[in-house]
Amino acid sequence: MTDPAGGADTSGAAPRRHWWHIGGIFGFIVRRTLLGLLVLFLVSLIVFAATQALGDPARAILGRTATPASLAALHKQLHLDQPVFQQYWNWITGLLHGDAGTSLSAQIPVTDYLKDRVVNSAFLVLLAGGISIPLSIAIGSYAALHRDRPFDVITSIVTLAFAALPEFVVGLLLVVFFSTNVTHWLPAIAAPGKRPWQDLEGMILPTAVLVIAVTPYVVRIMRASMIEVLESDYVEMARLKGLPERQVLIRHALPNALGPTFQVIAINLAYLAGGVIVVEYLFNFAGIGGAIRDSVFNNDLPLVQALAMLIAGLYVVLNLIADIATILVTPRLRTRL
Amino acid sequence: MANRRPVRLDSLDELPLSRRELLMGAGGLALAGTLAACGGGSSSSSGGGGTSGGGGGTPKPGGNFRLGVTGGGAKDMIDGQSIITKPDQARLMSGWETLLVYDEQYKLTTDGLAQEATQDKPNQWTIKLRDGIEFNNGKSLTADDVIYSLQRILNPKEGLFGGAGLSSVDPNNIQKMDNLTVRLNLKNPDSTIGDQLGQYYNGIVPKGYSRTNNLKWVGTGPFITTSFQPGQQSSHKKNPNYWRTGQPYFDTVTITDFADPTAQVNALLAGQIDAMTDIPFAQIEVAKQQGGLSILEGQGGGWLPLCMAVDMAPFTDPRVRQAMRLIVDRNAMLEQVLSGHGRVANDMYSPFDAAYPSDTPQRAQDIEQAKSLLKQAGQDGMTVDLHTTDGAAGMVDSANVFAQQAKAAGITVNVKNDPNYYGNQYLKLAFSVDFWGTRQYLPQVANGSIPTAPYNECHWPPKSGTGSDFVSLYHQALAEPDETKRTDIIHTMYSEEFSNGGYIIPFFNNLVDAYSSKVSGFQVNRGTLNLDSFGHGYRTIWFSS
Repeated sequence: MTDPAGGADTSGAAPRRHWWHIGGIFGFIVRRTLLGLLVLFLVSLIVFAATQALGDPARAILGRTATPASLAALHKQLHLDQPVFQQYWNWITGLLHGDAGTSLSAQIPVTDYLKDRVVNSAFLVLLAGGISIPLSIAIGSYAALHRDRPFDVITSIVTLAFAALPEFVVGLLLVVFFSTNVTHWLPAIAAPGKRPWQDLEGMILPTAVLVIAVTPYVVRIMRASMIEVLESDYVEMARLKGLPERQVLIRHALPNALGPTFQVIAINLAYLAGGVIVVEYLFNFAGIGGAIRDSVFNNDLPLVQALAMLIAGLYVVLNLIADIATILVTPRLRTRL
Repeated sequence: MANRRPVRLDSLDELPLSRRELLMGAGGLALAGTLAACGGGSSSSSGGGGTSGGGGGTPKPGGNFRLGVTGGGAKDMIDGQSIITKPDQARLMSGWETLLVYDEQYKLTTDGLAQEATQDKPNQWTIKLRDGIEFNNGKSLTADDVIYSLQRILNPKEGLFGGAGLSSVDPNNIQKMDNLTVRLNLKNPDSTIGDQLGQYYNGIVPKGYSRTNNLKWVGTGPFITTSFQPGQQSSHKKNPNYWRTGQPYFDTVTITDFADPTAQVNALLAGQIDAMTDIPFAQIEVAKQQGGLSILEGQGGGWLPLCMAVDMAPFTDPRVRQAMRLIVDRNAMLEQVLSGHGRVANDMYSPFDAAYPSDTPQRAQDIEQAKSLLKQAGQDGMTVDLHTTDGAAGMVDSANVFAQQAKAAGITVNVKNDPNYYGNQYLKLAFSVDFWGTRQYLPQVANGSIPTAPYNECHWPPKSGTGSDFVSLYHQALAEPDETKRTDIIHTMYSEEFSNGGYIIPFFNNLVDAYSSKVSGFQVNRGTLNLDSFGHGYRTIWFSS
């Protein structure tokens, strides 16, 4: 990913432009999208190679019932009798047409199997992100503005402690406190059979765990970044110009401090997509976490491949969004595009 | 862990019934599908029998019973004659019933759809159905449905568990005597047909039934499935046509899959479910301290044998086999592997079979005797590999505990934990660990202790010496309709395996479940299914408050 501060370019000198170079933010998005597709292509090669390297999937699936006849039949059914390149081509063109194959264990199309689960997980992650991002930006900025005062010190200790706690510990503590042993205020698991938006009460604890998992990192980077910006020449300049402090902070300091923070948020959100497994487990939440586990235990290769690509795609998209957001809030980066 | 099962491949007609599926059918899943068989806790049981929980009293109708079941996932299915995961068992029990039924003591009774099932001749059984039973779509249960059900079980293309156990039934020679009477003509004498008809997975389905057609949820059971999301949840409503008057008591039953037992315990503690299968041993004390919860501990007959192949060195010498069996400290192993949630066993299986020789003296650890036997056999100080895998909870622990205990006898046991054990070397090893569920004796012999058995780990019986007549004894027993005479033959078979066999069977495991004290009617059950066979299909349990 690009250095958010634009350090890769030799500062001062105008970058060399090629004739095909599309300028501006639009060109940037096009270039990064193409790069993202390249990354996904490479990931698809790795995922495919990795699942090949696991050995003969038919043998893994059949286990102790593997006879030459049943192996041959399964090879045919899974198209494993075709050349490797052909197999990859079938898979990747299928993916591009929105056909990720048929789940070996559920015996239904992978897309049907994952549809609801992806939406459920996305709802959980977005809810957690929607709460934790503004919250951590506010806390981080406030702590930076009141550096070394009690609020800053306390925030620093608390965020460090939460960052050190694994999600399942946080989750268990919350459940013990709010659901089972101490009080019975909140449900201990997500209501079975309901979509998450139909069960907002049941979403409180899972969301809280994710918020607690993500917020500390973002608060800390936001605070550090804000402190750096506050000490910069242009903030001093703005103050010397006599601008009101409010305007200095909101127009000049905050946007520049947000750049690095967006990168951290992107990585954390992407991490949530994977880290959500623990939370989904703990709260018996019907999302992709359960699907990941199930697919691995069942040697359900089409499902494993689809999930790997899905998570890789999410990383690419989130990073792209973070880069765009960074550029939008940082004027000096825009000028170099 | 336990979910590494072969997938259902309906198009692969030739596939043999997988060992795992076969075992699960007979309760192997109790071990295979659960994390509960490992952990810590106490060895107390909730009582020896009778009604447990919040008082018996008069059953009260009403309410929605919410059950949490361990395991499950994309492979979940509802089928009156088949299961893959443990939630499948819970769902099957809500909608389908068998001709004969095992009671809480694991004794076969005529409390099912048949009022009678008798072996008229060594190779002929006659089944007489109860009159007036209807399926939940209003159609009456008749001989045609029984014939269809048995033919479906026996159809190799369906790949159903029951097929192996009923293989002596000739599918093309099942006769309808009248509307309620069916005659089974056997290819060879078989006295175990009744046992098979009582296995929960041999449910009776209506003629024309298929897992996917419009009859898919039609059975005679107490509840009717109304919705089903594999890996997540199913709902079931009371069958208004149910043939046992007064039952069931609940209006609805909701069955939820849980991938993680911690979430399951939390849901029970928070009152979001009313009962759960397989509480982790470490959580039992926590649950007991929490008011309003009860524990149901069923003394099941599942077992994790250490298997010595009688035709492979060094176990060709009976003295070596004897020495290995004397090395085991069974109590210690039970404590370490199952936290005491089981009973010490005596190297013989099928403890609930009427012919089980419970008067045989308990074999106990005797290191001196073991050393001396090994010395006589010229194997003192030997080194041997013990192969195991994480196929069922406790398999790896059992191997490690045995290796530890064997040091006292001066021999070295190297535990080989191989994830591909079942794929590659299974049944070809001199010394290995395996797992089994509860069965009666003769069906179990057919599965694991004769040369034609699919899973004969010990390569039993030996070509010469004690046990060499085992196969002919087995056929005599199958052909013998007289129970006393049959019992005598089985006793001989048991004693041959006890004195000269290849199994080390240290313990039988218990099933430990938890439920809210609001629920009444659960009984301690020896059967293969959790929670008193899921309250006999949720019909013998009710909310007392």
